[in-house]
Amino acid sequence: MPDVNAPAIRPHRLLRWLVQIAFLAFFVFLFVQTRYGSPARVKDILFRFDPLVLLITSITHRTLINAALLSISVIAITFVFGRFFCGFVCPLGTTLDICDGITRHKTRLRRSVRNWKYFLLLFLLVSAVLGVSFLHFFDPLVIFERSLTLVFYPVFTYLFGLFTDLSPMVYTETLVAFGVFALILGSGFLAPRFWCRNLCPLGGLLGLLSRLSPFRFSFQEQCSCGICETICPTGAIDSSRNLINPAECIDCLRCRYECPRHAITYGLHLSLVPFDAKKRHWIMAFGAGLVFASLRPLLQQRLHGRLIRPPGAVPEADFLNLCLHCGKCMKVCPTNGLQPCILEAGINGIWTPRLVPRIGGCEKNCNMCGRVCPTSAIRTLSLREKTFAKIGTAVIDRHRCIAWEQNMVCLICDEVCQYNAISSFSETIQGTTLLRPFVDERICTGCGICESRCPVEGAAAIQVFSKGEERKRTGSYITEEKVKLRACEEKPEDIPSGFIQDDN
Amino acid sequence: MEITRRDFLRISAGMAFTTLLPKSLLPLHAGEAVAPVIGIARGEKSKLAKAAIDLVGGIDTFIQEGDSVCIKPNISFAANSTCGATTSAEVTRQVVRLCLEAGASKVMIVDHTIQDPKLCTERSGIEEAIIDKKKVSLLTLTKERQFAEVEVTGGNELQVIKVAKILENVNKFINLPTAKSHSATGVSLGIKNLMGLIWDRGSLHRKNLHRAIAELATVMKPDLTVVDATRVLTSGGPGGPGKTVALDAVIAGQDVVAVDSYTVGITQWYNKSFTGKGVKYIVAAAELGLGEIDTERMRIREVEV
Repeated sequence: MPDVNAPAIRPHRLLRWLVQIAFLAFFVFLFVQTRYGSPARVKDILFRFDPLVLLITSITHRTLINAALLSISVIAITFVFGRFFCGFVCPLGTTLDICDGITRHKTRLRRSVRNWKYFLLLFLLVSAVLGVSFLHFFDPLVIFERSLTLVFYPVFTYLFGLFTDLSPMVYTETLVAFGVFALILGSGFLAPRFWCRNLCPLGGLLGLLSRLSPFRFSFQEQCSCGICETICPTGAIDSSRNLINPAECIDCLRCRYECPRHAITYGLHLSLVPFDAKKRHWIMAFGAGLVFASLRPLLQQRLHGRLIRPPGAVPEADFLNLCLHCGKCMKVCPTNGLQPCILEAGINGIWTPRLVPRIGGCEKNCNMCGRVCPTSAIRTLSLREKTFAKIGTAVIDRHRCIAWEQNMVCLICDEVCQYNAISSFSETIQGTTLLRPFVDERICTGCGICESRCPVEGAAAIQVFSKGEERKRTGSYITEEKVKLRACEEKPEDIPSGFIQDDN
Repeated sequence: MEITRRDFLRISAGMAFTTLLPKSLLPLHAGEAVAPVIGIARGEKSKLAKAAIDLVGGIDTFIQEGDSVCIKPNISFAANSTCGATTSAEVTRQVVRLCLEAGASKVMIVDHTIQDPKLCTERSGIEEAIIDKKKVSLLTLTKERQFAEVEVTGGNELQVIKVAKILENVNKFINLPTAKSHSATGVSLGIKNLMGLIWDRGSLHRKNLHRAIAELATVMKPDLTVVDATRVLTSGGPGGPGKTVALDAVIAGQDVVAVDSYTVGITQWYNKSFTGKGVKYIVAAAELGLGEIDTERMRIREVEV
């Protein structure tokens, strides 16, 4: 350890830690607050300040993502003061700092690896221009948010559920999300903040900007002890040449305060650090963008017949462009019915939301998924509007339905249907009157409560398919015809079989 | 004392003779002595529960000083509170208040909802009934560990059933259903409301549903049943929406079968008139000897408030 003899806590480190922990705690707090019943829409503040979302998603979707416009402030500040965002704000960076603090590995890697983050950025840009977004694999804030939802939230709810009445949340795809998160944390074994200095495309973007930043750390005198180079967490310092690369520096202040000769200061300093990236690597990244983007039909090929998107989801192509795969909608869904796709929406559709009615239906009185979606891939609909946004249609499998096949008095689907789309009609067979459920496809919204409650063991005998789903970019889902159909009091309904009827 | 043959014959003959006596000569009118009392109050909503319970002896008959009470409203659906699919917060609050006035040390409002408990709580407004934060609590059951297996003696459809453990931990149980129609059982009243205290509802639908519901009443015995008929969902039940009738009535009684049977007759269901004898699960419960189904043999007391 280079700073063995130094006091355990130095004021500047404490200050930075406090700021970092405060931001991390704030983001986790917002995450916890992202739940049913919480009113404000600022829960997506993390993504509002994400320049990568602004850049990549806007290009992919060919529309400016207004919600992320605030991130221009991050760009502006970085342009002047450098990568402070990485050193102080980024929650994934803080998490990595904590992990690196625990593992305490100090291996150093060849410098050339650090340029990968620019290549990744170029790859994202090229594929975005060609209309495919791979942002969800690489954006640190998206990875952070998604890991909280898919990895930590189930564990958290399970543990708390042991002694409170909190229901544990479960997600069908936790493994890959955990793998990505673990890989990023584990890369700390190669070098501290391995992800930030070598791979993070947001770091790359901010690094490019801070290359030009006038305010930066620089050497005030010629020296050669090299302490600064060993303590720098991102390997930004070349002590032999007395150079600090502003594109790598995350403004962590360590060199400034730990230099025994106080040779490093922060201030106005103009010079351009040469790029050492090889041309053929740029070309390779460009090529990779072209290749992967051209594979779009393959990567976004639906691999499952029952892909049910949440109500208010924009048309599929737009949806895949806009969705950040951040998992907020799944976190907030009160029935746990919104689940991450694995391959249902194609390889590139991993972690996009999909309703799995067998786990939980879409509650009539809830519009939370649309309210928390940062990019409006799921539109914010009023409660009334939402009940008219059809996401699919329930279909009864008469061969498995116990009312149809075994003459049981079941009709739970009729009972629980929130829209009275299921009615029971009687039929007399060999003198016995039997009630059978029927779905009115015009009224059914595909909410799937019936599927979640169907008492048939295993797969439900009533299942929701995406047929009839309404996906609109703009405009209302409410039509006069639908309103008329829903006026339920005139709806014919046979007398339930629970009554004994004397007269025929 | 030894009994001789002669004594034995004489006593037997005497006993046999009493059976020939006309019923009216007997000191007790056995049949009427157990005739259940049903109270129905109509009128001003804020007074209904007290008025109805007063008709059947007043709350003090059922709740004593220091009792812990479980109140089971029906808030299974996240339906609008005015549609009648759920027990109104107003009536629940009155019953809670009565319990506290009678000296109950603890009142728990318990339900195992069908839809999400948060949404059900919110939509029914049931939290308004928590008038004393120390003594009154709301418990929505969500975990299997909150239920314990109970044997159903003499059950045809049910052998064992997982019932909410909370019933073992309280000494009084007030059943507080809402009166509503039901797409499978016809009506959903007191006995049907007990289904909200078991773990696996679906399993009942895979059996003879009506009989299975009746068998539930052999395991769970409410001390008092109060039916909220202020808003009655007479079709489209149990979740609504459907036709809602404002009856502004509350029915109370100790005999859950009698209460259910009587309540069937107070309004039309699916635009048709029925009696308790026309509802299969009530008939099944009466056949199990759980209570009186014949309204002729009930003592019905009415009041207008």
